[in-house]
Amino acid sequence: MIALRGIPSVEGMQITPTDLGLIARVVSLGKQYGTGAGAVTALEDVSIGLRRGEFTAIMGPSGSGKSTLMHIMAGLDSPTSGRVWVGDTDVTELSDSALTLLRRRRVGFVFQSFNLVPTLDVRGNIMLPFELDGRRPATEEQAWIDGLVDSLGLASRIRHRPHELSGGQQQRVAIARALATRPDLVFADEPTGNLDSRTGREVLALLAEASSRYGQSIAMVTHDPVAASHADRILYLADGRIVRDSGRSTPEEISTYMLAMEQAA
Amino acid sequence: MTRLRDQGPTLLVATLAAAFGAALLQVTGILAVVIEDSGAAESGTVRLLLGLVAGVFIVIAVYVSAVVTANTVATVVAGRTRLIALYRLIGSSARAQRTTIAKEGLLVGIAGAILGGVLGSAVAWAAGEIGVLQGSLPRFEHSLLDPAVLLPMAAVVVTTWLAAWAGSRHVLAVRPSQALGNSAEADLETVSRRTGRAVAAWILGIVGFALLALGVVVGLFRPEGVLIGLLGGILSFTAIVLAAHRVMPPVLRAVGRAFGDGPVARLAAENAVRHPERSARMTIGLVIGVTLVTTFAVTMESYRTMVLAATADRAELQDALGPVIDATVAVFSILIGFSAVIAAVGLVNTLSISILQRTRELGLLRALGFDRRQVRAMVVLEAAALAIAATLTGLVLGVAYGWVGAQSILGSVGGGPGIVAPTIPWPIIAIVVGAAILLTLVASVAPMRRAARVSPVVALAVQ
Repeated sequence: MIALRGIPSVEGMQITPTDLGLIARVVSLGKQYGTGAGAVTALEDVSIGLRRGEFTAIMGPSGSGKSTLMHIMAGLDSPTSGRVWVGDTDVTELSDSALTLLRRRRVGFVFQSFNLVPTLDVRGNIMLPFELDGRRPATEEQAWIDGLVDSLGLASRIRHRPHELSGGQQQRVAIARALATRPDLVFADEPTGNLDSRTGREVLALLAEASSRYGQSIAMVTHDPVAASHADRILYLADGRIVRDSGRSTPEEISTYMLAMEQAA
Repeated sequence: MTRLRDQGPTLLVATLAAAFGAALLQVTGILAVVIEDSGAAESGTVRLLLGLVAGVFIVIAVYVSAVVTANTVATVVAGRTRLIALYRLIGSSARAQRTTIAKEGLLVGIAGAILGGVLGSAVAWAAGEIGVLQGSLPRFEHSLLDPAVLLPMAAVVVTTWLAAWAGSRHVLAVRPSQALGNSAEADLETVSRRTGRAVAAWILGIVGFALLALGVVVGLFRPEGVLIGLLGGILSFTAIVLAAHRVMPPVLRAVGRAFGDGPVARLAAENAVRHPERSARMTIGLVIGVTLVTTFAVTMESYRTMVLAATADRAELQDALGPVIDATVAVFSILIGFSAVIAAVGLVNTLSISILQRTRELGLLRALGFDRRQVRAMVVLEAAALAIAATLTGLVLGVAYGWVGAQSILGSVGGGPGIVAPTIPWPIIAIVVGAAILLTLVASVAPMRRAARVSPVVALAVQ
């Protein structure tokens, strides 16, 4: 396990996240909303590294700062203090247009409410990241996408619009879209929040498989112990701080820990 | 009431229509008084004719404003889906919710009629005073408290009320469960199969086009053919308006394809036809305005060419006739053009509202890697697709109707059957195209800025 929390100052060191086997990394991250008496601290001195090829769950009760952490890691929000890397790129220093390119090419998203573009069919949604880049997928990329579409069971639905699909199917399209460009990191925000438990399990198994079979790095934010139990590693967040970093756990172990955390609070 | 705030566009449209009607009637009244004072023998007839002409233009303006109002109300309802669903969830009936919106229409209609009535009368009064000061009008005694002005005001109240009722029918489709969970945008405006409307459109269309053809044929021998053609024109155009949800989307798609195959252009093209009914209603008002202006201009221009040719050897007659025809074309174009302005206001508003309703989707596109420039370009292209499709359709229809008009009036002139080549009034076409470009820019400025400001975080937030 790579414990970054104890390292006092990383800036002076010539170690890149890649050298550490990390795909993303935050150091001494702080995020405050508002100023003065009304200020709310969402994150306080958070330092973590996400390992390449791993499926990491970020757990925590609502208000623990897990969504804020994900937004900042994905370059959607800026931190008040601290630094963020995706791969070897310091995200905190990027301009809006550079962040846009980062999202387009190196990061994928899976949302709770699926968020497909309603005017595009399944194919159009999956190909959107390439289209935005103004390029056609190379032969080998196309083969990867075709394989994704097949293994996600979307081949017969390729011309359907999102509203003609069930929730589970829509989420599979979103997963295909997120994996299509083989990004450095896929962020999943409560990906099972709008699904029934059986469909939810299927979606989680698909994410876990993408990680174990294709080495896709995934960061999933959730408050559901069952969802977190599919991950290789679980980071627990409470009141804006990382309170625990554990390996694969059963839903029971996760629930027990979450309950203990609630009672301690 | 905060719920009324999103009815701003409806109020604007009602005010414009009422102001136009009031101003037109007041000006007519002033002119009639002036003519009576001058002691002309046939002043009664003049007054009647003026009233008739004003009536026709007021009806056109009120009709266009009703189409526009139904559209803005439907868009407002789409935006309130969640709120309406919440009311339904707590136990309100769909009918009660719809009545609320119709009541808002009534209130907004009354407010618009009063505002417009005062505004229009003030404009007419100011125009009269300026006329007197400049010496182009003699001093006259005319009270602005003309009861006739109440007519267009009442018409605006009634049509706004009815249009709000018609535009709110989608309320009935809102399910209480839409207040919960899934935040996917509800597609309330799928094209419904209304057989009655389709049958009416087909019958009107067939009869209308047959009468148009008959008008042209009769016009080869007698100028009265134009009356048959006029009836045919009204019927066939009504058919096109009724079938707008079938006619406009293909035009919009064709225009959208012309923008190219990039992701921005494709999304913009798809957005323009996302709700075929809404797009049809958004554009049809403008189609009506452009068609009327173009029809009139083409007919008059053909007429003028004809007259000038017939009087080629009498220069003094040409010099006298030319300015009269020019002035007539200008005045009538402005009068008809006003309905196009109302339609354009509707298009701008509906586009703004429907883009605001898409905040989440815009956030998604930003999260997936659209940069701000691309989001802005997408909005401009969507506005352009709507404006271009409406203008092109209006121009094509207008030239066709204008030619039929000219042909049936003038086909028998000069002693025998003859074919009149349509004369296309390029200055008017240029003005219409210029107005469409201006409209696209105006329509996209505000939504473009709002859209570019949407943060990608919005897409992740759960409502």
